[in-house]
Amino acid sequence: MSKNKSGIWSFFSSVRLAIVLLSLIAFFALIGTLVPQREAAAELAGLISPRLFSLLDKMQFFDLYHSVWFFLLMGLLTVNLLICSLDRLPMVWRRFRMRLSPQNDDVFKDCPEENSIRAKADMAQAADAAASLLKKRYRKFVRTDEAGRAFLCADKGRFSLFGVYIVHLSILVLIAGVIIGSVFGMEAYVNITEGETVNTVNLRRGSQSLPLPFSVRCDKFTVDLYESGAPKTFQSDLTFFKDNQIVQQGKLLVNHPIEIEGFRFYQASYGAAPGGKATLALLRADGRRDIINVGAGYAFELPGKEGTFNILRMEENLMKMGPAIKVVVRSKKEEVSFWVFQQIDKIKQTNPDIIQQVAIFNPGLFRPYTFVLLGLEEKYFTGLQVSRDPGTPVVAAAALLLICGLMMVLFSYSRQIWIRIDQKKEGVRICIAGRSYRNKTGLERELQYLIAELKDNLEKSK
Amino acid sequence: MINTTILSWVTFVYFAAFVFYLFRMILGREFWGKLATWTALAGLVAQSVALIIRWKTSYDLGMGHAPLSNFYESLIFFAWTIVLLYLLMEWRLKNRSIGVFVMPVAFLIMAYASIAPGINNRIEPLIPALQSNWLTSHVLTCFMGYAAFTVAFALGIMFFIKQAAGNDSSKSGAFIRRLPSEYQMDELMYSCAALGFIFLTLGIVTGSVWAHYAWGSYWSWDPKETWSLITWLVYAVMLHTRLVRGWRGRRMAIMAIVGFACVLFTYLGVNFLPSLHSYTN
Repeated sequence: MSKNKSGIWSFFSSVRLAIVLLSLIAFFALIGTLVPQREAAAELAGLISPRLFSLLDKMQFFDLYHSVWFFLLMGLLTVNLLICSLDRLPMVWRRFRMRLSPQNDDVFKDCPEENSIRAKADMAQAADAAASLLKKRYRKFVRTDEAGRAFLCADKGRFSLFGVYIVHLSILVLIAGVIIGSVFGMEAYVNITEGETVNTVNLRRGSQSLPLPFSVRCDKFTVDLYESGAPKTFQSDLTFFKDNQIVQQGKLLVNHPIEIEGFRFYQASYGAAPGGKATLALLRADGRRDIINVGAGYAFELPGKEGTFNILRMEENLMKMGPAIKVVVRSKKEEVSFWVFQQIDKIKQTNPDIIQQVAIFNPGLFRPYTFVLLGLEEKYFTGLQVSRDPGTPVVAAAALLLICGLMMVLFSYSRQIWIRIDQKKEGVRICIAGRSYRNKTGLERELQYLIAELKDNLEKSK
Repeated sequence: MINTTILSWVTFVYFAAFVFYLFRMILGREFWGKLATWTALAGLVAQSVALIIRWKTSYDLGMGHAPLSNFYESLIFFAWTIVLLYLLMEWRLKNRSIGVFVMPVAFLIMAYASIAPGINNRIEPLIPALQSNWLTSHVLTCFMGYAAFTVAFALGIMFFIKQAAGNDSSKSGAFIRRLPSEYQMDELMYSCAALGFIFLTLGIVTGSVWAHYAWGSYWSWDPKETWSLITWLVYAVMLHTRLVRGWRGRRMAIMAIVGFACVLFTYLGVNFLPSLHSYTN
């Protein structure tokens, strides 16, 4: 393959292209964080001329990460990775399969003097010492004896040669997973008021809604607050129906999604929904007392038929003075509105003149009635993120592969060691040489260690 | 609170360690080097104790989370990982000359955490999105990566100082002569970048898994995510150019510095952009 490389092949198999592509992708990603994207781009519309805006919009400048340019770069990177790996794989495979030959005079060519020992030992003794050392360090070794010479060699870490291809493969798998996700997946959101049931969700991309193969009811929404007012936990009790049958029920919390039929539901947000209920007691000056349950937005007749009243607002905690509702009372003569606090007695204790000072805090503003708030049941809606991404397991597999591959590339290395022993007049001369593709410093250290050990062994055995 | 008091003292301990490393470089007496190492180690131990106390205090206050949840805690942890990594390196390499460049970074981060306005050092309860087991592993791996990149950056700066002083070692000052050789610095820069790359990868992966559980998508092009990808790509380029194209020395030092600039932007700069990660602010 290496002989008849076409121009295109060698273009795509170059590491230089990979480096350029990685840099370009980084640059594009950078631009995307500086230029407002998608919905945020609308802010920019007012600042630049409409023609420029529409031009940039056409060039998909405001959705860079999903633009043709970005896909093009990713496509090129994919081809580059594939060709690059295919181009080098046969060579690496040969290197992996290669039988180590002990008689390798090339590696000793520029073997420095400090990597050799002269010892007063005989040939067999020196060779045995070297053999036992290699066996100890590398388990396996190859030995060839000739007249007046002996050769030994050993190696380790051949598998690390494949690390880089595992990393490349993981990136390809990752891209595949992303494509699967973007073709077959979807992201949507839906708000459900407590007690309501929905069977469609709104897609994030575009403004269409998507019917679900089941329906979801929010039975209850609860939120717990810290003293600071920040939310501590919030959760929705959801029931999933299919053909009027309950198929699943569960509590949905942030960080704990619910999965059903390939769709995943996430607790994303919440808010106050219209339709809360308040329990009111209406006291009249003559001592009569009526209790009424009211909902926001509806008009109720006063018990003495003097007029009607409406609930305008419901507040869980108005100005840190507890639950309150805003009431408007309409009669033929007048229209008055005021706030009714649940903890009016407590408020009066800390601030006795409040009713005189702030007229709209007076629950007895419409005579002869005094409104008392007995209970407030606020209604919430829960904001759910709904997504389906069949590519996720593929992406997860890619991540695992990537980490394993990187470990192999960066923390393991292949190493070969050769030892040559020559018979000399006054004993033997031992040369040690090695080769490592990535860990030169480690190799130096290993060679020094081997020399020291060997010297030690030969001196001891004397 | 006791933990913040200890932590503000640790700031000065790290500064002292830096001064001792500097004395060693200038005066050349190994006494200062040993003193510097022991000072840094004492600072690290005190900081670890403070972090454990802080952790325990958060349980006593009924919040119960690792001290990794806001900007103050992340700065403290960043300094902790830098000193830890540096001391491990010093121990392995038996070389103290890097300390004079690494310790001031740790000191500055600690000082920034203690005195910069608007940094809240209270223990705060976690908002629902942060209540996840992935918080610890995500922050841990990210900051281990950041620390390794910081050491690589310090080596890059050292490399340029050594080069600027010229190769003629007889003429250059004692300080320059005590720096590691250019070859050694190059090797170390690579090792640190490689270590950081692994941890950054783990950080991005754990972050993705968490996002998958919390936000419903493993990747949403949030600025912090995007910048972590940019950082990852820069170091990927650095490793490729070294391993395949054989870049060494000066070019590696430039890459280490550019990479660190990206790390800083990922960590701090992104706070100026609208982001889902805004609770780190």
